[in-house]
Amino acid sequence: MTSLLGYATVSMILFSIGVIGVIARRNIFVIYMSIELMLNAINLFLVTFARYHFNMDGQIVSIMVVAIAAAEAAIFLSVIILLFRSKGKLDTDIFTELKQEVE
Amino acid sequence: MIDILFAALAFFAITGAVAMLLYKSPIYAALGLLISVISVGGLFALLSASFMFMVQIIVYAGAIMTLLLFILMYLNIEDKDLPQEPRRNFLIGLGIAIMLPINALILDTVAKMPQADMSIVEEGFGGVKEIGLILYKDWLIPFELISILLLVALIGSVVLAKKRKAKELN
Repeated sequence: MTSLLGYATVSMILFSIGVIGVIARRNIFVIYMSIELMLNAINLFLVTFARYHFNMDGQIVSIMVVAIAAAEAAIFLSVIILLFRSKGKLDTDIFTELKQEVE
Repeated sequence: MIDILFAALAFFAITGAVAMLLYKSPIYAALGLLISVISVGGLFALLSASFMFMVQIIVYAGAIMTLLLFILMYLNIEDKDLPQEPRRNFLIGLGIAIMLPINALILDTVAKMPQADMSIVEEGFGGVKEIGLILYKDWLIPFELISILLLVALIGSVVLAKKRKAKELN
Protein backbone atom coordinates (compact mmCIF):
# COMPACT_ATOMS: atom_id res chain seq x y z
CA MET A 1 0.00 0.00 0.00
CA THR A 2 2.81 2.44 0.75
CA SER A 3 3.87 2.35 -2.85
CA LEU A 4 4.26 5.14 -5.35
CA LEU A 5 0.70 4.55 -6.54
CA GLY A 6 -0.77 4.93 -3.04
CA TYR A 7 0.84 8.31 -2.43
CA ALA A 8 0.01 9.48 -5.95
CA THR A 9 -3.63 8.48 -5.44
CA VAL A 10 -3.92 10.44 -2.19
CA SER A 11 -2.30 13.49 -3.73
CA MET A 12 -4.48 13.40 -6.86
CA ILE A 13 -7.63 13.03 -4.73
CA LEU A 14 -6.62 16.07 -2.66
CA PHE A 15 -5.84 18.06 -5.81
CA SER A 16 -9.22 17.12 -7.32
CA ILE A 17 -11.05 18.19 -4.17
CA GLY A 18 -9.22 21.53 -4.41
CA VAL A 19 -10.28 22.01 -8.03
CA ILE A 20 -13.88 21.05 -7.19
CA GLY A 21 -13.84 23.54 -4.31
CA VAL A 22 -12.76 26.35 -6.64
CA ILE A 23 -15.47 25.36 -9.14
CA ALA A 24 -18.38 24.71 -6.79
CA ARG A 25 -18.11 27.07 -3.82
CA ARG A 26 -18.85 30.78 -3.80
CA ASN A 27 -17.44 31.65 -0.38
CA ILE A 28 -14.17 33.48 -0.99
CA PHE A 29 -12.48 31.98 2.09
CA VAL A 30 -13.30 28.44 0.98
CA ILE A 31 -11.85 29.21 -2.45
CA TYR A 32 -8.65 30.41 -0.77
CA MET A 33 -8.53 27.20 1.29
CA SER A 34 -9.06 25.13 -1.87
CA ILE A 35 -6.05 26.82 -3.47
CA GLU A 36 -3.98 26.01 -0.37
CA LEU A 37 -5.17 22.40 -0.59
CA MET A 38 -4.06 22.19 -4.21
CA LEU A 39 -0.62 23.54 -3.33
CA ASN A 40 -0.45 20.93 -0.54
CA ALA A 41 -1.34 18.11 -2.92
CA ILE A 42 1.36 19.23 -5.35
CA ASN A 43 3.84 19.29 -2.45
CA LEU A 44 2.90 15.71 -1.60
CA PHE A 45 3.45 14.69 -5.22
CA LEU A 46 6.87 16.39 -5.30
CA VAL A 47 8.00 14.82 -2.03
CA THR A 48 6.76 11.40 -3.17
CA PHE A 49 8.83 11.58 -6.33
CA ALA A 50 11.81 12.92 -4.39
CA ARG A 51 11.68 9.74 -2.29
CA TYR A 52 11.04 7.58 -5.38
CA HIS A 53 14.13 8.85 -7.17
CA PHE A 54 16.13 9.21 -3.93
CA ASN A 55 16.93 12.79 -4.93
CA MET A 56 16.22 15.79 -2.72
CA ASP A 57 15.60 18.40 -5.45
CA GLY A 58 11.87 17.70 -5.27
CA GLN A 59 11.87 18.63 -1.60
CA ILE A 60 13.65 21.91 -2.38
CA VAL A 61 10.97 22.78 -4.93
CA SER A 62 8.26 21.98 -2.41
CA ILE A 63 9.93 24.31 0.14
CA MET A 64 9.68 27.05 -2.48
CA VAL A 65 6.02 26.20 -3.03
CA VAL A 66 5.48 26.67 0.73
CA ALA A 67 7.19 30.09 0.54
CA ILE A 68 4.94 31.10 -2.35
CA ALA A 69 1.90 29.89 -0.39
CA ALA A 70 2.93 32.08 2.55
CA ALA A 71 3.33 35.13 0.29
CA GLU A 72 -0.03 34.36 -1.30
CA ALA A 73 -1.69 34.08 2.13
CA ALA A 74 -0.49 37.55 3.14
CA ILE A 75 -1.69 39.30 -0.03
CA PHE A 76 -4.90 37.31 -0.51
CA LEU A 77 -6.12 37.72 3.05
CA SER A 78 -5.41 41.46 3.19
CA VAL A 79 -7.29 41.99 -0.09
CA ILE A 80 -10.22 39.94 1.23
CA ILE A 81 -10.31 41.95 4.46
CA LEU A 82 -10.41 45.23 2.54
CA LEU A 83 -13.19 43.99 0.26
CA PHE A 84 -15.20 42.51 3.15
CA ARG A 85 -14.94 45.77 5.11
CA SER A 86 -16.21 47.86 2.23
CA LYS A 87 -18.82 45.41 0.84
CA GLY A 88 -19.84 43.31 3.86
CA LYS A 89 -20.25 40.01 2.07
CA LEU A 90 -18.12 37.01 1.22
CA ASP A 91 -19.49 36.20 -2.22
CA THR A 92 -17.02 35.91 -5.10
CA ASP A 93 -19.11 38.60 -6.80
CA ILE A 94 -17.29 41.22 -4.69
CA PHE A 95 -14.40 40.94 -7.12
CA THR A 96 -16.48 42.42 -9.93
CA GLU A 97 -15.82 45.67 -8.05
CA LEU A 98 -12.25 45.58 -9.36
CA LYS A 99 -13.27 46.28 -12.94
CA GLN A 100 -14.89 49.64 -12.18
CA GLU A 101 -12.89 52.71 -13.03
CA VAL A 102 -11.37 54.84 -10.30
CA GLU A 103 -12.21 58.52 -10.45
CA MET B 1 2.84 -0.82 10.77
CA ILE B 2 3.72 1.73 8.10
CA ASP B 3 0.75 0.55 6.03
CA ILE B 4 -1.63 1.22 8.93
CA LEU B 5 -0.12 4.69 9.51
CA PHE B 6 -0.35 5.47 5.81
CA ALA B 7 -3.99 4.35 5.64
CA ALA B 8 -4.93 6.41 8.71
CA LEU B 9 -3.14 9.55 7.50
CA ALA B 10 -4.59 9.24 3.99
CA PHE B 11 -8.08 8.78 5.47
CA PHE B 12 -7.74 11.87 7.66
CA ALA B 13 -6.28 13.95 4.82
CA ILE B 14 -9.13 13.12 2.45
CA THR B 15 -11.83 13.41 5.14
CA GLY B 16 -10.59 16.84 6.19
CA ALA B 17 -10.56 18.00 2.59
CA VAL B 18 -14.11 16.72 2.01
CA ALA B 19 -15.23 18.49 5.20
CA MET B 20 -13.68 21.70 3.86
CA LEU B 21 -15.61 21.23 0.63
CA LEU B 22 -19.00 20.54 2.24
CA TYR B 23 -19.27 22.71 5.37
CA LYS B 24 -21.05 26.01 4.84
CA SER B 25 -19.39 27.88 7.70
CA PRO B 26 -15.81 28.99 6.91
CA ILE B 27 -14.61 28.21 10.45
CA TYR B 28 -15.54 24.52 10.11
CA ALA B 29 -14.03 24.48 6.63
CA ALA B 30 -10.77 25.92 8.01
CA LEU B 31 -10.67 23.29 10.78
CA GLY B 32 -11.19 20.55 8.19
CA LEU B 33 -8.35 21.94 6.11
CA LEU B 34 -6.17 22.06 9.26
CA ILE B 35 -6.73 18.31 9.81
CA SER B 36 -5.91 17.68 6.16
CA VAL B 37 -2.72 19.76 6.29
CA ILE B 38 -1.42 18.05 9.44
CA SER B 39 -2.14 14.61 7.92
CA VAL B 40 -0.21 15.56 4.77
CA GLY B 41 2.64 16.54 7.11
CA GLY B 42 2.50 13.03 8.56
CA LEU B 43 2.70 11.60 5.04
CA PHE B 44 5.85 13.73 4.51
CA ALA B 45 7.33 12.10 7.61
CA LEU B 46 6.52 8.65 6.18
CA LEU B 47 8.34 9.66 2.99
CA SER B 48 11.45 10.42 5.14
CA ALA B 49 11.23 14.16 4.39
CA SER B 50 11.74 15.24 7.99
CA PHE B 51 12.55 18.87 7.16
CA MET B 52 9.43 19.17 4.99
CA PHE B 53 7.44 17.66 7.86
CA MET B 54 8.67 20.42 10.19
CA VAL B 55 8.05 23.13 7.57
CA GLN B 56 4.55 21.80 6.99
CA ILE B 57 3.68 21.86 10.69
CA ILE B 58 5.32 25.22 11.44
CA VAL B 59 4.48 27.21 8.31
CA TYR B 60 1.19 25.68 7.16
CA ALA B 61 -0.51 24.52 10.33
CA GLY B 62 1.23 27.02 12.57
CA ALA B 63 1.34 30.23 10.56
CA ILE B 64 -0.98 30.18 7.55
CA MET B 65 -3.93 28.35 9.09
CA THR B 66 -3.65 30.28 12.37
CA LEU B 67 -3.64 33.54 10.41
CA LEU B 68 -6.72 32.39 8.52
CA LEU B 69 -8.56 31.36 11.71
CA PHE B 70 -7.64 34.66 13.40
CA ILE B 71 -9.03 36.61 10.46
CA LEU B 72 -12.21 34.52 10.38
CA MET B 73 -12.81 35.16 14.09
CA TYR B 74 -11.85 38.82 13.82
CA LEU B 75 -14.23 39.54 10.96
CA ASN B 76 -17.19 38.15 12.97
CA ILE B 77 -18.91 36.57 9.99
CA GLU B 78 -22.61 35.93 10.48
CA ASP B 79 -24.91 33.60 8.61
CA LYS B 80 -26.38 36.41 6.53
CA ASP B 81 -22.93 37.32 5.21
CA LEU B 82 -22.42 33.87 3.75
CA PRO B 83 -23.19 33.58 0.04
CA GLN B 84 -26.10 31.48 -1.19
CA GLU B 85 -24.94 28.41 -3.07
CA PRO B 86 -28.04 26.93 -4.72
CA ARG B 87 -26.16 25.09 -7.47
CA ARG B 88 -23.41 23.68 -5.23
CA ASN B 89 -24.26 19.97 -5.55
CA PHE B 90 -24.65 20.20 -9.31
CA LEU B 91 -21.29 21.96 -9.60
CA ILE B 92 -19.60 19.37 -7.34
CA GLY B 93 -20.92 16.65 -9.64
CA LEU B 94 -19.65 18.58 -12.65
CA GLY B 95 -16.23 18.95 -11.01
CA ILE B 96 -16.04 15.21 -10.29
CA ALA B 97 -16.98 14.49 -13.90
CA ILE B 98 -14.18 16.81 -15.09
CA MET B 99 -11.52 15.53 -12.69
CA LEU B 100 -12.15 11.75 -13.00
CA PRO B 101 -10.62 11.31 -16.50
CA ILE B 102 -7.59 13.45 -15.56
CA ASN B 103 -7.06 11.37 -12.41
CA ALA B 104 -7.43 8.13 -14.36
CA LEU B 105 -4.88 9.29 -16.94
CA ILE B 106 -2.26 10.37 -14.40
CA LEU B 107 -2.70 7.38 -12.09
CA ASP B 108 -2.54 5.00 -15.06
CA THR B 109 0.79 6.58 -16.04
CA VAL B 110 2.09 6.36 -12.47
CA ALA B 111 1.01 2.70 -12.17
CA LYS B 112 3.14 1.83 -15.20
CA MET B 113 6.32 3.21 -13.58
CA PRO B 114 8.71 0.61 -12.15
CA GLN B 115 8.36 -0.21 -8.48
CA ALA B 116 10.95 1.21 -6.10
CA ASP B 117 11.68 0.92 -2.42
CA MET B 118 9.61 3.54 -0.55
CA SER B 119 10.54 2.57 3.02
CA ILE B 120 11.75 5.07 5.61
CA VAL B 121 15.40 6.06 5.23
CA GLU B 122 17.15 6.19 8.58
CA GLU B 123 19.79 8.85 7.88
CA GLY B 124 21.21 11.05 5.18
CA PHE B 125 17.97 11.91 3.38
CA GLY B 126 15.65 14.85 3.86
CA GLY B 127 17.16 16.17 7.08
CA VAL B 128 18.11 19.78 7.78
CA LYS B 129 21.78 19.31 6.90
CA GLU B 130 21.24 17.61 3.54
CA ILE B 131 18.47 20.01 2.50
CA GLY B 132 20.60 22.99 3.52
CA LEU B 133 23.61 21.80 1.56
CA ILE B 134 21.58 21.33 -1.62
CA LEU B 135 19.64 24.57 -1.08
CA TYR B 136 22.77 26.73 -0.75
CA LYS B 137 24.87 24.90 -3.35
CA ASP B 138 22.60 24.10 -6.29
CA TRP B 139 19.54 26.26 -5.69
CA LEU B 140 21.08 29.53 -4.49
CA ILE B 141 19.61 31.85 -7.15
CA PRO B 142 16.03 30.49 -6.88
CA PHE B 143 16.37 30.78 -3.10
CA GLU B 144 17.35 34.46 -3.34
CA LEU B 145 14.52 35.14 -5.81
CA ILE B 146 12.04 33.52 -3.39
CA SER B 147 13.33 35.75 -0.60
CA ILE B 148 12.74 38.84 -2.78
CA LEU B 149 9.23 37.54 -3.51
CA LEU B 150 8.53 37.25 0.23
CA LEU B 151 9.83 40.80 0.76
CA VAL B 152 7.52 42.09 -1.98
CA ALA B 153 4.56 40.28 -0.39
CA LEU B 154 5.45 41.80 2.99
CA ILE B 155 5.59 45.33 1.55
CA GLY B 156 2.37 44.72 -0.36
CA SER B 157 0.43 43.60 2.68
CA VAL B 158 1.70 46.58 4.70
CA VAL B 159 0.61 48.96 1.92
CA LEU B 160 -2.81 47.28 1.74
CA ALA B 161 -3.27 47.42 5.51
CA LYS B 162 -2.47 51.12 5.92
CA LYS B 163 -5.19 53.48 7.02
CA ARG B 164 -6.93 55.24 4.19
CA LYS B 165 -9.51 57.97 3.89
CA ALA B 166 -13.19 57.12 3.79
CA LYS B 167 -13.68 58.22 0.21
CA GLU B 168 -10.87 55.99 -0.98
CA LEU B 169 -12.46 52.99 0.67
CA ASN B 170 -15.82 53.41 -1.05
